[in-house]
Amino acid sequence: MLRPSLVACLLLFLSHGLDAQKLTGIVVDSNGSPLPGASMIADGTNGQFTDAEGKYSFTLASGTHQIVCSYIGYIAQTKSVEIGSANLTLNFALADDAVLIEDVVVVGYGVQRKKEVTGSIVQVNSKQITGVQTPSFEAALQGQAAGVQVSQSSGVAGAPSLIRVRGVASVSAAGDPLYVVDGIPITQEYFLRGNSGALNNNPLAAINPNDIQSVEILKDAAATGIYGSRGANGVILITTKRGKKGTSFEFSTRTGVGTPATRPNMMDTETYLALRQEAWENDGGTGYVWLPNMTTVSDNADTRQEAYQRALLTNTDWVNETVGVGVKNAVNFGVRHGTERYNFYAGVSKDNNESYLRGNSYDRTSARVNFDWKPTPKTKVLLSSSLSRGENNRIDAAWSGGLGDAMANALPYYPVQYAEDELDANGNVTHEAGEYFLWFDEWGGTKNPVAVRELKKWKTTEDRSISNAQLIYSPIENLNLKASGGFDYLHLKEDVFNPGALSINTDLGSASRYANFVLNWNYSATADYRLELDDKQSLSFLLGSEFQRTDNYGYGLFFGQVEGPIFESDSLSLDADSVNTRRNTPSQHSFLSYFGRLNYSLNDRYFFQATARVDGSSRFGRESRYGFFPSISAGWVVSDEDWFQSKTISFLKVRSSMGLTGNAALPDYARFGTYSAADNGTTYAGDSILYPLQPENPTLRWETSRTVDVSVEMGLWSDRVTFELAGYHKYSTDVLMNVSTPASTGFTNFWDNVGTILNRGIELSVKSRNTIGALQWTTDLNVARNYNELVNIGEYTPDAVSGGTNDSRVIVGRPVGSFYLVEHSHVDPENGLPVYIDLNGEETYDYNNDIRKYVGDGLPEFIGGFTNAFKYGNWDLSALATFSVGAKIFDSSAKRQLGVVSGWNMRTEKLDRWRQPGDDALYPRLTLDETTYSLPSGFPWWNTSLFIYDASYLRLRNLTIGYNIPLDAASTLQNCRVSINATNLFTITNFPGLDPEVVRDFENAQDRNMSPNVTYLTPPQERSFTLSVSTNF
Amino acid sequence: MKSKIFFIVTALLLGTVSCDHLLEFEPGDVILAEDAIRSADDLQRLLVSNYDVLANLYGGRVQIVNELRGPNFGAPDNSLDFTAVYNRETTFFTGINAGIYTDFYYAIYRSNVVIENFSIVEDLADADRTRLEAEARFIRALCHWGAVKMYAKPFGYSLSNDHAGVPLRLAPSQDPLPRATVKEVYDQVLADLEFAAANLPDQNGPYATRMAAESYLAQVHFLMSNHEQSAGYASSVISSDLYSLDGDLDRFETDIINPETIFGIVSQPNDFRSSWFRDNLRSDNTSNPQLAFSEDFAFFMSLSGAADGRSAWYTPGPRALINRFNDKEYFNIPLSHLTLMHLIRAESLGELNQDLSTAIADLNAIRARAYGTGNNEIGSDAMAAEIIAAAREEYRKETVCEGTWIDQLLRRGASGEPIFIRGAPWDCPGVSLQFSNSETTVQGFELNEEGGCL
Repeated sequence: MLRPSLVACLLLFLSHGLDAQKLTGIVVDSNGSPLPGASMIADGTNGQFTDAEGKYSFTLASGTHQIVCSYIGYIAQTKSVEIGSANLTLNFALADDAVLIEDVVVVGYGVQRKKEVTGSIVQVNSKQITGVQTPSFEAALQGQAAGVQVSQSSGVAGAPSLIRVRGVASVSAAGDPLYVVDGIPITQEYFLRGNSGALNNNPLAAINPNDIQSVEILKDAAATGIYGSRGANGVILITTKRGKKGTSFEFSTRTGVGTPATRPNMMDTETYLALRQEAWENDGGTGYVWLPNMTTVSDNADTRQEAYQRALLTNTDWVNETVGVGVKNAVNFGVRHGTERYNFYAGVSKDNNESYLRGNSYDRTSARVNFDWKPTPKTKVLLSSSLSRGENNRIDAAWSGGLGDAMANALPYYPVQYAEDELDANGNVTHEAGEYFLWFDEWGGTKNPVAVRELKKWKTTEDRSISNAQLIYSPIENLNLKASGGFDYLHLKEDVFNPGALSINTDLGSASRYANFVLNWNYSATADYRLELDDKQSLSFLLGSEFQRTDNYGYGLFFGQVEGPIFESDSLSLDADSVNTRRNTPSQHSFLSYFGRLNYSLNDRYFFQATARVDGSSRFGRESRYGFFPSISAGWVVSDEDWFQSKTISFLKVRSSMGLTGNAALPDYARFGTYSAADNGTTYAGDSILYPLQPENPTLRWETSRTVDVSVEMGLWSDRVTFELAGYHKYSTDVLMNVSTPASTGFTNFWDNVGTILNRGIELSVKSRNTIGALQWTTDLNVARNYNELVNIGEYTPDAVSGGTNDSRVIVGRPVGSFYLVEHSHVDPENGLPVYIDLNGEETYDYNNDIRKYVGDGLPEFIGGFTNAFKYGNWDLSALATFSVGAKIFDSSAKRQLGVVSGWNMRTEKLDRWRQPGDDALYPRLTLDETTYSLPSGFPWWNTSLFIYDASYLRLRNLTIGYNIPLDAASTLQNCRVSINATNLFTITNFPGLDPEVVRDFENAQDRNMSPNVTYLTPPQERSFTLSVSTNF
Repeated sequence: MKSKIFFIVTALLLGTVSCDHLLEFEPGDVILAEDAIRSADDLQRLLVSNYDVLANLYGGRVQIVNELRGPNFGAPDNSLDFTAVYNRETTFFTGINAGIYTDFYYAIYRSNVVIENFSIVEDLADADRTRLEAEARFIRALCHWGAVKMYAKPFGYSLSNDHAGVPLRLAPSQDPLPRATVKEVYDQVLADLEFAAANLPDQNGPYATRMAAESYLAQVHFLMSNHEQSAGYASSVISSDLYSLDGDLDRFETDIINPETIFGIVSQPNDFRSSWFRDNLRSDNTSNPQLAFSEDFAFFMSLSGAADGRSAWYTPGPRALINRFNDKEYFNIPLSHLTLMHLIRAESLGELNQDLSTAIADLNAIRARAYGTGNNEIGSDAMAAEIIAAAREEYRKETVCEGTWIDQLLRRGASGEPIFIRGAPWDCPGVSLQFSNSETTVQGFELNEEGGCL
């Protein structure tokens, strides 16, 4: 993919006249940094580029001259200068192109002038990406583009964010946008290790934000149609930096700290015991209540009393034990160099990012080289390669432990360690002082988050390399033939050692290694040609084909009864006898595609585009293997019409598009009916067995979205204010669902094209330069509303597809991933019992799965971002606020923290409980017996709408204050900037839980689509403060 | 020049045309369905996988769940699923009942695949085909019967047994099915077992035999209160002389097929199939095992005192710990055994009031083993009612932990006896397990009523 670093050519004609004088100057950006390579044109013909220091020099005859200064990404300026008998100096300070419409944008397989673009594309530049301190670049897209919902990752280091472009149009197939780096659709597997430790791997974490030149988000069919079968959920094009003429260096470093944006309010020992005692007495118990891991219900009163008194002596704040301050630091260095024949960009980066969860960090080391070479006037070679390693020092989180335990089974009367030797009845020491106190949770797991953190060794290492090579041959003018090949390599390795000290039953530990390899090859060939029919009409053609293949394989090793971790010594031979090896079933898929694009331009104000793509996928059978995805679109720059005369409206463009896109992100072999391998070693009574694994569905096919988009772009007052208003209607059919089938069929699930989903919405973007001059103030606002409805799911019921354990279901007439729970009405003031609402709207005490219903969904009505940036002198300030209105959140862990009193600690909100007749309380009478609330025995999961909350929020996502240090003219530095950045300073919300913006760990892609805004012991986002220094020289 | 450009463009763009083979990937480490069944050996291995499923079901899981439905076990320690079963409040969110249900139909599906695919196998001898079908129908019968006992009201609950049973699957299909009536299920179970009894070999290694089918016919008829048939089939098995009562009380033996075993689950040194027993019942495996006998059962056992050798199977106390499987890492699990045949025959003859001497002999053989020869025998002049009572007493003891006592109580309840199980009437809704939630994913399936037993 090409992104021209400079668009002007050097043409130098000396003007006539005998009294030539020198006109010199320097071109700087809005920060005062010199701009090498800026285009300078005098009188339309006399041109040159600024040098490495941003300087230029013309020799001009006396008289009046028009000097045009332009640079990609900045607003061009034209100045008039009167040359007399002396040399003159004329400096330019170019402003950012935030409101520029004449810029170019990256589109699929090429670039276009923004004016000509007929699709919906949002460009996010490198400053916007690096301006927000995020460990992974995609998080920085939040609030930057209308209709692009970015939910930030949890506080776990290395956790992925969740991005949805214009809603979710998929159920079981992945609903994430397609990510394309320098033309290569990259591997984007979030579930290589499932949700091990309550963490999904982030396939985007390896990309260094500092390497990114720009990100284009393609939203409608006109923009995404060229990606055909994979464009239904949007496309995100990432273009990395390339070299440019001259030599320049960039260096930046930052250091900072992170703390949780909010903290859970768990009860202390005294409060927990008091409420537990109250529950016991409410249930008819006498004497002291029995205590988990100290006594049982059948112990006598004296034993229970002694334990209760002993428990009061310990008060552990498990949240404090698991949460701390994370330290972050990063160093980036880049160099650009260019000549007429070649240029390159090289960058290295080291980013150490501790989370506030103690013992948890994600460290990325990365390097990139982009090299462009022009061996002949007609030939260009572009090489790009990145290499990165991400090391994640893991901890258990959420349901798996750590802070999750602190919010759940870690009761405050449990000590971290034994304070003194513990003796048995015979006086033998059973536990020594200082030994970690271990307990069982209700599933029999051994727990103590501090012991686990300190003793368990757990590390995930991701090695990633994304490389591509392009050969461009231009045999004649306007014809470019391009061949490219790309390779994306991902190796994820997870090593775990559970020491014997964490087991109550054995002294030795166990060690595991899980390795995944994903190899992704991409080859494409394109030809593009621009034909100028006359001076008013032009045609552009693009034809191409592409082949992509992805191989996924891996293995697992399990060592039982070992003393130490295996990743500290890679030698496996010592324990080879005790190792169990499991080879992951290898998996491959491929796409073979043919595509074309035709653009027609008339009078430089009427623009038409048609795209078509034929995709074949190995994931589908021969009868439904190929899909055809066309789109058409048109744009009209009304403001360029001769009759359009307006002093207010400086730019007006309308455009519209319609087309088909698809989604094929389902498991590679879902269509096959399969049996176990005959030789896989599984036997019964010594005889080998053969058994079916999954049923066949030879008719599986693409899910297809038909999208219509209409939008208006407008610039006011010489584009000081611009608007973009867009509306869209996306109707997705044949939606792929992994439906749960009746177990009596002999299988439990089945992939099928079942559903129909509607997304329609409206988006508004406003960019305004409020003040210019000494104080520059710009405002960006974007807001979007999306309506999502699951229109049809055939004969299936809501339970046919669920979002993991999250009580989200498919309900016709409701959004994808609606919450399906028993509706809670109130607490009966007379008896303190919860009152539910049945399907007839009647109040009832009976909790029953048959009365589950839609009680809300996690999709917001409005989302948006609001950025204000100020610049005064050398100072600048930027504030980004993001907001979400109308979504609900299901606080799934609250049903245990605020429900039946159990072996879980409770949140202090629980104090608002019913105690006596007449009490008007939020929570019912305390009980240890789930049947009190009419729950089934053994089922303390109080799944009711009581824990559905309004998740609307306004969050100060980012605040940055920067200072550009004035530099001496003789300084070798071009600029030097110091900034302080704070994230998540405050959040305004009514949500009583931890964080209204949540991305929990998901079980699979379906869960990821179905369960936005479900939290289950999910660590909140972090609040960070960062000091940064950057310079160019 | 133009032709050269045209050639280059064409080569670039069409270079991958006609490359459909690039899109051909087949899953590795598995066999495609169309290639899976080609030979008689494939069918045999598919059939063996059914026994594998049976082993997963009856390696303790079904037995424990059925004991938890009945009066023999006390409240579980802290397992939520066990507690739900014990309190007779399973829902379709409860995992253990969903898992068992699913496994029953795994085996039923595979049995149907075996039966349906004889025609595509070329090297299949007629005798093998008959045996394969007989074994497949044997397993299909066991699973339909196992499911209908756990997920529906018992036979006899309604006058014509037209109350809802479980889906009756007689061919592999992905189409949803409603629940058949209990009568329809029992009719098919009998038909399958009769076919199996007529066509299975007498010797078949660890797999189903003619006597295995007959022993199950005895059990099924016994639950249907068809005492003549149950006594007849039990007599047929007993008189086959293929099996003998073990001299000791241990039928769950390691590396040995107990001589009483008519049909059972096989464990091997590298393939433990009895782990559910080991992990949940052994009092020597953990100081606080999940499960223990109920006070009611401990009291029942205490009535016969230490003279009863079976008293060693438990340790008296607030939680009467289970010792029956102690010291065993793995063992074979008899599902249908000679003791059961003697007990069924004895009670059936008592019910028929026929051939009481045989019934008395059956019971005294069991008692002699438990108490020692000549001790605690039933008198030769015992009346039918005494024989029935003794047979039930011995049945409860001999089969404890084997998961069949609940069926006997439900049979008797359906026959009109005032049966209460842990304080609730035998027909309270929650005794029947709730179906798997996946069964409700298609509109129209009738779930069981939940709860109502506390």
